[in-house]
Amino acid sequence: MSIAKVPDISPISLYDPTAGSAVPAELWDGITDKNLGDWEVEWLPELLSRLRILHGQGVARSKWPQSRLWDWRRKLQAIEGLLANQCFSIVCNDMTQAMMITDLTHRAKLDAKQAAHLVYVEYLETAPWNRKEIIGQEPRLSGCGSIMIRAAIELSKEEGFKGRVGLHSLPQANNFYANQVGMEDLGIDKDYQNLRYFELTSEKAEAYITKGQQP
Amino acid sequence: MSKKTMTLNLTEAEMAALEALCEKKQMSKTQLVRQAIRLYQKVDERIEDGGKLFFEDEASKEKSEIMML
Repeated sequence: MSIAKVPDISPISLYDPTAGSAVPAELWDGITDKNLGDWEVEWLPELLSRLRILHGQGVARSKWPQSRLWDWRRKLQAIEGLLANQCFSIVCNDMTQAMMITDLTHRAKLDAKQAAHLVYVEYLETAPWNRKEIIGQEPRLSGCGSIMIRAAIELSKEEGFKGRVGLHSLPQANNFYANQVGMEDLGIDKDYQNLRYFELTSEKAEAYITKGQQP
Repeated sequence: MSKKTMTLNLTEAEMAALEALCEKKQMSKTQLVRQAIRLYQKVDERIEDGGKLFFEDEASKEKSEIMML
């Protein structure tokens, strides 16, 4: 996929923990120049100011958010025109709150003999102000990660992959994927930067979607 | 995303292979053809960039190169 010019837009809701209320937002079927502009102009300075604080506090670089090294513009250029990659973004209050790149050409590791396809989440990042571990306080908006995983599940179902999703998790997100999403932890992958690999079966995907629909 | 419809002319053998793959992968014909295009495009791009496509025998580690169009 290339940088999307006019994405399909679906209405969603995020949660404002400070106000204690839902906030209307949009799920975009693509990553546009507007999203990349938000990343460059708003995310990066915010992230840098937080890194400065961590650095000042003497926090080891290994504990800094690893996604600080991600260059979204370069990532998008690398998959320009490829059908294998589908992208998503979340926009709220005219600001990009999260972005995700998926790959549809990976196979499930669980029950590998079936060689079943899945949606592999290549990159998923939320804006720095929505990340408690970076800002050290309540996020401005929560729910971006859950909505992106739901989008990956829906894409998986649409493409005939029965809701299966796989990903390598950055250490800060292990707990979210294991305990909130219910993905199977297949352990550390020595062939992939020693990150833990998680996979969501079709049954667990259905359970996750159902859980999200409950009032 | 808007989609376009096309008619695909296949021989009986090609249709049988497509149906068998659909059955095996539990995918519709549309889903399977879409996935095949994605994979073909990705492999083709890698090969154009100088990569090679191999199958490796798990036991003997013997590699055989796959020829692409």
